[in-house]
Amino acid sequence: MIRLRCREQQHEAVVRESSQGLEVVVDGLVSRPDVEEIAPGSFVLREGTRVEGFHVARDGDAIHLFWRGAVYRLDEEREGQRGPAARHAEGGLEAPMPGKVIKVAVAPGDRVEKGAEVLVVEAMKMENALRAPKAGVVRSVAVKVGDMVAPGRVLVEIE
Amino acid sequence: MPLFRKLLIANRGEIAVRVARTARALGIPTVAVYSEADRGAVHARACDEAVGIGPAEARLSYLSFERLLSAAKQTGADAIHPGYGFLSQNGDFADACRDAGLVFVGPPGDVHRTMGDKKGARRLMAAAGVPVVPGYDGDDQQDATLAAAAASVGFPLIIKPSRGGGGKGMRVVHRIDDFAAALASCRREAKGAFGDDTMVLERFVQRPRHIEVQVLADGTGATLHLFERECSVQRRHQKVLEETPSPALTSVLRAELCAAGVAAARAAGYVNAGTVEFLLDPSGHFYFLEMNTRLQVEHPVTELVTGLDLVRLQLEIAAGRPLSMGQAEIRSQGHALEARLYAEDPSNDDLPSAGPVLVCAMPEGPGLRVDTGIARGSEVSVHYDPMLAKIVAFGRERAESIERLSDALARTAVLGLATNLGRLRTLVDHPEFRAGHLHTGFIEEHLGEVSPHPCAPPEAVAAALAALHVSRGRGPAAAGPAASVPDPFAALGAWRLS
Repeated sequence: MIRLRCREQQHEAVVRESSQGLEVVVDGLVSRPDVEEIAPGSFVLREGTRVEGFHVARDGDAIHLFWRGAVYRLDEEREGQRGPAARHAEGGLEAPMPGKVIKVAVAPGDRVEKGAEVLVVEAMKMENALRAPKAGVVRSVAVKVGDMVAPGRVLVEIE
Repeated sequence: MPLFRKLLIANRGEIAVRVARTARALGIPTVAVYSEADRGAVHARACDEAVGIGPAEARLSYLSFERLLSAAKQTGADAIHPGYGFLSQNGDFADACRDAGLVFVGPPGDVHRTMGDKKGARRLMAAAGVPVVPGYDGDDQQDATLAAAAASVGFPLIIKPSRGGGGKGMRVVHRIDDFAAALASCRREAKGAFGDDTMVLERFVQRPRHIEVQVLADGTGATLHLFERECSVQRRHQKVLEETPSPALTSVLRAELCAAGVAAARAAGYVNAGTVEFLLDPSGHFYFLEMNTRLQVEHPVTELVTGLDLVRLQLEIAAGRPLSMGQAEIRSQGHALEARLYAEDPSNDDLPSAGPVLVCAMPEGPGLRVDTGIARGSEVSVHYDPMLAKIVAFGRERAESIERLSDALARTAVLGLATNLGRLRTLVDHPEFRAGHLHTGFIEEHLGEVSPHPCAPPEAVAAALAALHVSRGRGPAAAGPAASVPDPFAALGAWRLS
């Protein structure tokens, strides 16, 4: 799941390889864009007989987009930037989106390294690994496999 | 035998690149100079040699006589082209070049100094029969004398420092009651900025057009004009769109204006390429504004309609060659329109912006010329002028060059930093611009507040994400900053797909 902000508007998106090719879901709308990179940062989108040139480049969390003569900036919102930053500092790991827990890789008392896979949540038929924001010891695990979780709910605490 | 043994270009960005192109075509080896901030800049690789001239701060690099002259000596250059901005109108630098045995490509030092003094330039022009705005340019600078002069000039009027520019120490005064206070503050500002508080007063011309005449003079005194350019679309005294011919001139008025330009250049004892700027009021009267003793940013529009290369002509004159053509041989054909692409943020009061150039797609096509000093991977810093490129269209007539420029701007993409591209498109497509109803307050009158850009449509977001996905894993060539690009998706953070 990718969270993007374009001015005041939020987008939630998923990019995945499917059997029919690349699939992109933006705010629940599924599309299979046929995109080819023709030069660094320059692309062509094909849709039936229609051909559309555009440009995209990433700079850190910012995605710069040139589309039909206009320039847009999309800022990717990391989990740490939307309020729960403080909780992250404390080692709290929360659900990024509504979904179902399909794997719990840790138990209370386990030592985890930063970046280790802690949980896997499935949403929009995509598996998303939740990773430890820091090294430490797991203090609590609030969910089990099969639980439905809501965004913002603290799933695992690491200290 | 080339005109010079080697030419040092004492400038940066698009103008340094543009000068180098002509020098190369003439077989003259070139030397670029660059500050520490410009080590990787496009202009620093546009010449045969490149010399570092010090820190980012212009005062210690691009404005340092010592650094520039020693770079010329080190490389064996025998001529220096100053471009525009920086030292291009500095008479003392022109003298210093001459004293160091180098040819300065531009007029001699005293011409720069004479025309750089508004009071002296006004008097010189008036004496030569070139119309000046009614005003006061006397030596008696007492407050009481200026107040009395103000009353006879009439209001609104403008107070201008005799030396200096850029709007500092300048005020428009609407009533005699406000004059004394305005004068005092102009004097303070001018004293601080230019070390001189001599003032001139001029009647404030309402809704003027800015029209200028390109002149060319050789060392024998032969002086020609290359017609006019209209640069009325400005923002804070900074030109944004420039064109030739002006849609405002009849052939009679054009002939008068161009003759006044030539008379002004002759009166100044001008040598090399220069520009005489005029204000044209709504009733068709024109007045001398100032003379720019250098090449102008907007020179390409003149080149497109005349077929002449102004930098080549500058170099020939500087090498002592007489002009090889007469006035009758200079013809203007078609129409040319230039847009200046600036690194500035319309959503932030048009303040200069900075950042990496992640994508730089410049338009191509019939009747298009692009002069640029940036490329993908360039870093635009706040140290220098924010102009990034000039996009110039040529057409059979004004409507065609507007059409071509409008299309070109829609295909121009600079990503990574804010630019005025959206503004340029709005201007060029504006019905009042298309109708040719221009004046120097055009932008303030017609553009006003910039409406915030709408969000990207969902299909564009989807295409962007797909694009970043297909370009991932292509190493440094992938869609990201030119150097050390991580996997574009790695930056998606902990929630990346797994």
